[in-house]
Amino acid sequence: MNLLPSAATLAALVKIGLLVGGLMTAAAYLVLLERWIAAWVQDRRGPNRVGIPLTKIRLFGLGQPLADGLKIILKEDFTPSGVDRVLYNAAPLVILAASLAIFAAIPFGSVLPPLGIPGLPDPVPFLVAPGLDVGVLWVFALSSIAVYGVLLGGWASNNKYGFLGGLRSSAQLVAYEIPLGLGLLGVVLAAGSLRLDTIMNVQAESGVWYAFAQPLGFIVFMVASFAEAARLPFDLPEAEQELVGGYHTEYSGIKLLLFLVAEFLHMITAAFLIVILFLGGWHLWGVTGSSQEIGWIQALLRFGILSGKILGVIVFFMLVRWSWPRFRFDQLMNLAWKVMLPLGLLNLVTVATVEEFRPQLVAALGPGFAGAVAIALPWIACLAGWLVAGVFTPSGTDNTPILTHDPLDIERELAEHERLERSPHIVSPTELAGSR
Amino acid sequence: MDPVAATTFPISGLLLAGSVAALAASLWLLLPKTSDTANSRRLGFLLGTAALIGFAATGRSLGCVGEDAVFLTVAGIAVISGLATIVTRSPVYSAIWFAMALAGVSGVLLVLGAQFLGVATIVVYAGAILVMFLFVLMLAQPSGMAPYDRVSNEPMLAAAAGAVLLGLLTLSIGRLSAAEPPSCCRMPSRAQGMAAAAPAEGAASEDDGSIAPATAGVESVDADEVAHLGAELFGRHLFAVEVAGVLLLVALVGSIAVVSRGEATETDHRRESR
Repeated sequence: MNLLPSAATLAALVKIGLLVGGLMTAAAYLVLLERWIAAWVQDRRGPNRVGIPLTKIRLFGLGQPLADGLKIILKEDFTPSGVDRVLYNAAPLVILAASLAIFAAIPFGSVLPPLGIPGLPDPVPFLVAPGLDVGVLWVFALSSIAVYGVLLGGWASNNKYGFLGGLRSSAQLVAYEIPLGLGLLGVVLAAGSLRLDTIMNVQAESGVWYAFAQPLGFIVFMVASFAEAARLPFDLPEAEQELVGGYHTEYSGIKLLLFLVAEFLHMITAAFLIVILFLGGWHLWGVTGSSQEIGWIQALLRFGILSGKILGVIVFFMLVRWSWPRFRFDQLMNLAWKVMLPLGLLNLVTVATVEEFRPQLVAALGPGFAGAVAIALPWIACLAGWLVAGVFTPSGTDNTPILTHDPLDIERELAEHERLERSPHIVSPTELAGSR
Repeated sequence: MDPVAATTFPISGLLLAGSVAALAASLWLLLPKTSDTANSRRLGFLLGTAALIGFAATGRSLGCVGEDAVFLTVAGIAVISGLATIVTRSPVYSAIWFAMALAGVSGVLLVLGAQFLGVATIVVYAGAILVMFLFVLMLAQPSGMAPYDRVSNEPMLAAAAGAVLLGLLTLSIGRLSAAEPPSCCRMPSRAQGMAAAAPAEGAASEDDGSIAPATAGVESVDADEVAHLGAELFGRHLFAVEVAGVLLLVALVGSIAVVSRGEATETDHRRESR
């Protein structure tokens, strides 16, 4: 029996190593970036002192992630009494494993030029699992597995704050999965594939990014992915000010680190998906071609452009954090079910109509004009949807205080109660039974 | 015992009967009952392990257990988690074992080459339905059994019925495999591996004539599996899909009607009080 792994297996292992190493480093430095941006927004200096250890070189604080990591790893790993030990220990592992496994289906570049290694199909794609036909669904499935980490962590730690955080989180994630899926479906319909690399290739070939062809889908997907990543306007699961951290209140040391890294990975995943699905992936007009046969410079350029776009989206995520207040829970649910869901459906119907009648359009108007119409129609739908959503905003989304009377005002309560008893609108149980 | 099976597989027939009996006894010992002791559970675990080994051995002698390590792992996870789901006391753990069983089933589907089904199992069951279960379980914090659970809780009958059903299924698969040996257990990925690696495998009972068409069929499906499935669902089975959709919609509307009946008076209250 041949115990040596094949070239394809080795290539996959190398890719996994690069990806996990890169993601972990990126997560560490994104924390630093987030703190810098927070400092910039709040007019502070931010972390700028920790440089190379044992020297006095500061390097703008670039040593901060190392120091933070060491500190949190060396902290006491305290387990409170009364926790469900098995689930308490499993929750951080589940969430981190799911967040990392998502990247098996996410391409992090285009393709490498042919390497000529025997046993390895050329060109080598920047993708751990190139054979997976259902890439988008894989991402979806594993991000729904990550919910378990949050839910179990909150429940197992035997803490009211943690439990509330876990419940809020599961409700939020389940609710926003639907608009997320609707935004995604539009792209899948237009590209005709569930593979993320094919979706990028289609955008590169036509030169029209889906953010321009499906503005409404882009907005819905963007908002939903903010909610899925539990970033600030939607950070109810954690809500430091009211839930002291939510589901990871009771965690400390390296387990807390796993939760925090998984959260950052969620944000990175969301940025990857936004860029790949809607912002053209590695494509930039006039810079990268759309061919699959490329040289080394072109391959690195594409990788750089994809990374740059992702960094841009992440910076946007971080700026939004300091620009918007947190939603109330009913506002969150109203936004998901009464605004985002109908808008997502509208987008889906528009895209399906355009794609269905595209051949007729091309036959009637010629390819150039037909393309313009195919872009104009979704924009009209977007505008109409925005107007309708603006006019018929569900009442729960405004912040006007609801007038409620003082619950300690007993006399008023009693009068109210009496008045309600006499009210003809209220059906008493006996009447209800009689009418059946 | 069925005479055909008994003559074809005299030893495995006995083994199968023994495994069924052991499984039934172990399930009865392990299922939640009022008369539980630690020793009875321990005995149940022993019997259950023996029964699982027995079933595995039956499968091997029937020629139905592949050498594929990945398949064995995911199938083992699915079976053991499935058993754990029904014998665990805590409802939350039960739900989590169920999630593990779904992960195992999804792994089996992925090994078989049904990527869409495998991933959809996770998305739909583990990702949505089971999370809702957990949500409710954690909110309700149930302890002990509800009255309707006591009525429907029949550990002995359930254990016997389950074990016998499993035994009959194994038997019928064994008879299928006796009729045409490779088709029952030939997994697509293994078939492809076999076609590539020539007859290196020592499973002598399989002839090459039946492998070739199986491989060809697998490849034609694999080329664009999702598109093929979609075309099939929305082509030949369009009516069934639409009817299922309407059924779900009706259920949704019904549940909202049930919920809002209780809530209508609440909002009336608030409107009155303003």
